[in-house]
Amino acid sequence: MPISPIQQTDAVRGHFFGTVTTNELLCREHYRLTVEVRDFPRSHPGQFAQILCVPDAQTAAVPADVKSLDSPVPPLTELSWQPAQPPPHFHDRFFAGAAAYLRRPFSIADRRDRVATATTAHVCELDFIYRVIGKGTRGLASMRPGQRLSLLGPLGRGFDVSPEIGPAILVGGGVGIPPMIYLAKVLHEKKIAAMALAGAQRRDLLPLKISPGNGPPAPVPTPSQAVDEFARYGFPSMISTDDGSLGFKGYVTGMLENILTAFSTDQRKRAVIFCCGPTPMMRATAAVAAKFAVRCQVSLEQPMACGMGTCQSCIIKYQPPGQKQWVHKLTCTDGPVFRAEDILW
Amino acid sequence: MIGWRCQYFTLAWFLGKLPIMSTTIGNLNASVTAPTPDISVQLKNLRMANPVMTASGTCGYADEYANFADLSKLGAFVTKSISRQPRPGNESYRVVETRAGMLNAIGLANIGLERFLAEKVPILEKMGVPVIVNVPGWSMDDYADVAEQLDQQVPVVAGIELNVSCPNVKSGLSFGTDPMRLAELVAHVRRRVTRCTLIVKLSPNVTDIAVTARAAVEAGADCLSLVNTFTAMAVDIEKNRPVLANGTGGLSGPAIKPIAVYMVHRVYSTVAKTHNIPLIGMGGIQTWQDAAEFILAGASAVAVGTALFIDPSIPQQIAEGLRGYLLRKGKSSIREIVGTLAMG
Repeated sequence: MPISPIQQTDAVRGHFFGTVTTNELLCREHYRLTVEVRDFPRSHPGQFAQILCVPDAQTAAVPADVKSLDSPVPPLTELSWQPAQPPPHFHDRFFAGAAAYLRRPFSIADRRDRVATATTAHVCELDFIYRVIGKGTRGLASMRPGQRLSLLGPLGRGFDVSPEIGPAILVGGGVGIPPMIYLAKVLHEKKIAAMALAGAQRRDLLPLKISPGNGPPAPVPTPSQAVDEFARYGFPSMISTDDGSLGFKGYVTGMLENILTAFSTDQRKRAVIFCCGPTPMMRATAAVAAKFAVRCQVSLEQPMACGMGTCQSCIIKYQPPGQKQWVHKLTCTDGPVFRAEDILW
Repeated sequence: MIGWRCQYFTLAWFLGKLPIMSTTIGNLNASVTAPTPDISVQLKNLRMANPVMTASGTCGYADEYANFADLSKLGAFVTKSISRQPRPGNESYRVVETRAGMLNAIGLANIGLERFLAEKVPILEKMGVPVIVNVPGWSMDDYADVAEQLDQQVPVVAGIELNVSCPNVKSGLSFGTDPMRLAELVAHVRRRVTRCTLIVKLSPNVTDIAVTARAAVEAGADCLSLVNTFTAMAVDIEKNRPVLANGTGGLSGPAIKPIAVYMVHRVYSTVAKTHNIPLIGMGGIQTWQDAAEFILAGASAVAVGTALFIDPSIPQQIAEGLRGYLLRKGKSSIREIVGTLAMG
């Protein structure tokens, strides 16, 4: 039993400036920001970036080549606040009390790479899906195509996707869903069978594209191809909402129990659960995984100032089975992905 | 050394992208006839190639920022607090962002002296910049034992910074806020530190910082660093509890900068200038303009803390910015402007 956190050897990371290409409303309070970054290093699902949620002043003014500012970003009328105006000067970005001061961590929701050619550089399109909850995400929602954005990444250790997994069960709750989209892509590339369970409080807080024509999400936990983000890789999915406004009424863990109950002992042995969501939901998922003796990796979130392992604020209690005493581990550099059984919940 | 630099290919790319850096370098190239101003600094035995160092607790133990900044460009590297024994630190939450600042109560979580010596010192030796180790303590010997061991056994350590003011640990507060106890502590450590520059990091949580500054200097401090964080609190109004698990925390960031500038000027004009004691100014520094304010107010060197969380390359940007400022002001050395603030 290895007692170190999940290992990943390629630790290339850095400070990058990207250009916002789209920043679109997906559902109530949830946006998808797409940023083009040159030479962004290799990354893993579950890794994150620390984003400065204020546009870089070099491009804070409206760039001439952006024809319509309104069309790419939907109006923010659903929200009770007005987006903050970007500060006019480079140095002011640190000072405005209305703007976020520290960076904010966001898991990578997807990436698309255009490889370098003789005349063009390697460009990576990174997706981040976020929910507007405070001044950081409010600032992020104010960003427009063409604006420059500073990010540190890819940070942390992502999900451990070893080829002998089968099947993978993706369990995402609310803002924990985004890394599952990226994970689905990588699982597909590695030809690993997977299914996805996604939960939200309500139908309008689910940042996924539902195509009911592909078999609508059913009130009973039945897999369908209704969620585009997973169906595009042929992965079945199930939706749950707390109020039953879409799919199964209840929690993702209810659906998970159903699935694992139906699994054979051999299937449970080979299956791996990948989980990201609010802490109570991950704790419950870890308990279900333990009950059925299924391996489970969780991507944790803690308040974080730096993301680089220096501020020591994003601590979790880590105690692998067999270890006598818990120790603090950092969510940012030792995680965010840990084996569920190693966490003192 | 070449191997060390080569790892940071992303840095070269980043520097090329950085508007401030490229502009400053461009200006320097354009005026090749003017001599490059000397920005080196001497803090007693500690020589720095430039006046910008990191602030303790914001830059880890050694190379955590290696992918994000060229650490060999630092004037000095100041470690996280290293205590005799490892410490787990406080419970979560340990940080919270406040308006234009940050509140932290980490609780001096650290790996302890033994692991620091075994795991981090070899990395620091390769960094090629002077190292200052921040030393906390709960008794006079806590400080003196760690300081003496570093002074006598670790050549790469050029300075010891006594953390007498960390407001997060109840028993640590009294050394930094009581001039008598502070003098006693500094004299005690002074007897056992002979090689390293002995720096006392002053707490701002006092009525008059000149009083504790004088106590530290007269007890034998080589240098003072100021200010540490301000004891502060943030309240979760839904839960009717402090946000931080510790209750109180230390406030840092731009919110405290003007108070820190004032305190540097106060200490410079009342104590440091007459005793010829160099000051390290810190508190909310993010730009070279901020650093210049501290230097004019009386600081010989400056430290960047919380801003490193946003961009670990800020110290080198500040060093280049200061060089450009001196050039524009027609100064040949940064020492010419220290404490030259004209009052009245």
